[in-house]
Amino acid sequence: MSSERESILSNVWNLPREVSEVAGKDPGTWLQFNTHMVTFYQQTYGELSRFFLALKSCRLIGSHCKKCQQVMVPAATWHCPNCNFAEMEEIELPHRGVLAARAPITIFPSASFIDEAPFCRGYVDVATDAPIASFLPSRLMTTTGLPRPGIFVKGTELKLVFEDQRMGRIRDIFWVPVKELPSHLVDKKPLFASDLNFSSPPMPAIARDPALEGALRKAIEAMRSMAEQIPRSPRAQKDLAGRTHTISVRTAGGELTLIVAGSGLRIEDEPAKSPDFAMATRDPAVFTRWVGDGSLTDAAVEGTLWLPHRAAFAVLPILDRLPRSIRRDVRDRK
Amino acid sequence: MNKVAIVGAGITECRGRWVEATYWELFQQATRRTLEDAKMTADEVDSVVYGIYNDIFEHQAIPESTLTGLIGMANKPGVRITTGGATGLYAMRAAIQEVAAGMADCVLCIGGEKATDCFDPQSRTATPMVIDTIAKSWDPFFEYPLGATASDSYMQLCMGYDDEYPGDIGDSLVRAKIIEMLCRQGNKNPFGQRRDEKVTAEQVLASRWIIAPFLRLLEACMYTEGAAGVLFASEKKAREISERTGVPPIWVKGVGAANESYSPGRGGNYKPLSRIVSDHLAAERAYAMAGVRPSDIQLVELHDAFVAQLMITMGEMGFVPLGRTRNLVDEGVMADIRELRDDQPPPRGKVLINPSGGLIFGGHFVGGSNMFSMWSARREMVRRQIPLALIHGTGAINAVYGGAIVIELGDDPGKSPTGDGGAQ
Repeated sequence: MSSERESILSNVWNLPREVSEVAGKDPGTWLQFNTHMVTFYQQTYGELSRFFLALKSCRLIGSHCKKCQQVMVPAATWHCPNCNFAEMEEIELPHRGVLAARAPITIFPSASFIDEAPFCRGYVDVATDAPIASFLPSRLMTTTGLPRPGIFVKGTELKLVFEDQRMGRIRDIFWVPVKELPSHLVDKKPLFASDLNFSSPPMPAIARDPALEGALRKAIEAMRSMAEQIPRSPRAQKDLAGRTHTISVRTAGGELTLIVAGSGLRIEDEPAKSPDFAMATRDPAVFTRWVGDGSLTDAAVEGTLWLPHRAAFAVLPILDRLPRSIRRDVRDRK
Repeated sequence: MNKVAIVGAGITECRGRWVEATYWELFQQATRRTLEDAKMTADEVDSVVYGIYNDIFEHQAIPESTLTGLIGMANKPGVRITTGGATGLYAMRAAIQEVAAGMADCVLCIGGEKATDCFDPQSRTATPMVIDTIAKSWDPFFEYPLGATASDSYMQLCMGYDDEYPGDIGDSLVRAKIIEMLCRQGNKNPFGQRRDEKVTAEQVLASRWIIAPFLRLLEACMYTEGAAGVLFASEKKAREISERTGVPPIWVKGVGAANESYSPGRGGNYKPLSRIVSDHLAAERAYAMAGVRPSDIQLVELHDAFVAQLMITMGEMGFVPLGRTRNLVDEGVMADIRELRDDQPPPRGKVLINPSGGLIFGGHFVGGSNMFSMWSARREMVRRQIPLALIHGTGAINAVYGGAIVIELGDDPGKSPTGDGGAQ
């Protein structure tokens, strides 16, 4: 997934050389100047080199103390801090592990990781037989769409996956839930990212529930009523300007399609033949709440709205702005 | 160990960004106010301890060097402390040690941060770059490349805690009620960043998720620019200053600190993911030194980076049982500021928690946040006549650094107390 020719910083990480005026809380003219604190490194791996060389050759190693039997993974040192710095030996670790605690999903990452959200990272207990062991900080991936609550919980059995192209860095590996693997891959060693399909996850099965058909009609009405107001809302039109999306939605009450085009929104009460992507939720009221100034992003974060990939997630904040933009324009007209 | 007292404190206004002041001016302002509060001049100060968390925020390595002359500390010893979110706590610990050891009669402890000049060219906002700057606190080999942030590090602990103690911090309504109470308290802090905001529990519950299910937008601390100072003095000097100011000395009774291993793990000395052991050890050590128990303490200024963490910390420090930290609300352990006059202590069995509004409503200028807490604790002790208070700080990845200080209200020198350092 990563190229050796990739630059450390992309071109967007820059600012024009200028001094500008900036408004403060107190009256007066105040200045700010554009500057930076970028330092490049050729960072030494030193004693950690062994660990990263092992990753390159698809091995996960730890350091083991023969006195206290603890296993450190990653092998952060080769001298046991618990046993007066006794020498530790290299041990090869299994490609299976257990999630040590429920893992947080990052929605608002730092500037360096903006393009990767949402993502999940957690601590994996790999040396499960050792009486004392450190946990491996890990990126966690799912083949079932975007990461969402309920997938990476305490005790989840995990399988180690290696990137096809490895450089010798912690991002050479990640973990997936064992239960997501077809049986022929469970014991494959090493398992490669290319063995798995992350790009077209299957939509979760959502059984039709006639009791929710009314909720779907209500959601469609609410969305159409909102869509009708967009031509009178400059803010909402600006939110949608230049965007075209055809988004299929499956709910337990039935299906619909959201079409964003020409700075407007259209709701069809049937599925699109070739949508850009599909979303799924059991409860159609997710969309009614959105129109009532709720949030589709929040529904995705809570896991009630299923999304296939990051590009789909990136559309939600745009849609979330619409009710607020319309409300503000209505207020301005009054 | 010699007796040590707090004899003065002062803070700047807490702002999201101070375009009117560099960190030089913020530190000078806080120093000026601290000295004015103690009716002292800079000449009387023997040495200075600086709390500045992150060089990248100030955009200078050794940022305290430029402050020395500007805050009147030229030709005196000065040392800078940096221990993540617990920077202020550890800076005060260092200042206390200088006086306790008899090396100084009066030490200025001054801390602050200029945090939001950082700017992300991609989003054209500050926040992602502020998060990135804090994320540089993670190691460059294993954690930073995974995209670790401060929020998800603290939420990792909340999730680990919830795995172990379900049904406690996971109740959004309990957390929202705590926020509502902190907001009311923050409204009473004349220097607080969000002193004009009214946040209700309903608004908290409707605010956007940062990390589900323990952190909504209105449950998080702020990024603040500001500075705060505290003056520590020997017994003799403290009594002299107290006579001058009419404010009783506040005695340092106990100091505790503990740093857990950086690496989480199972057994040995690894950091358990279900606990904030550093908070527990720090508080226990401070209680032991002071000869007090949590039940003796009715005023706490704690480092509330996130409200779910506030709950765990109150459990770790022994005010509520681990697994039942929701007793803060359910059983009314957290005192309701609406039921108290400004000169009234909380009733027996209740604890005033973060009357400053804490880091969520008051302010969080990282290197000086715990001095801000000390400023507030002293102010509330004096005006409400609360005999004991606890100040807490936490920081670093997965909250592995912790510190706690127990302070005691001294005898009134007989003059009208204000304790309102910095209020001009």
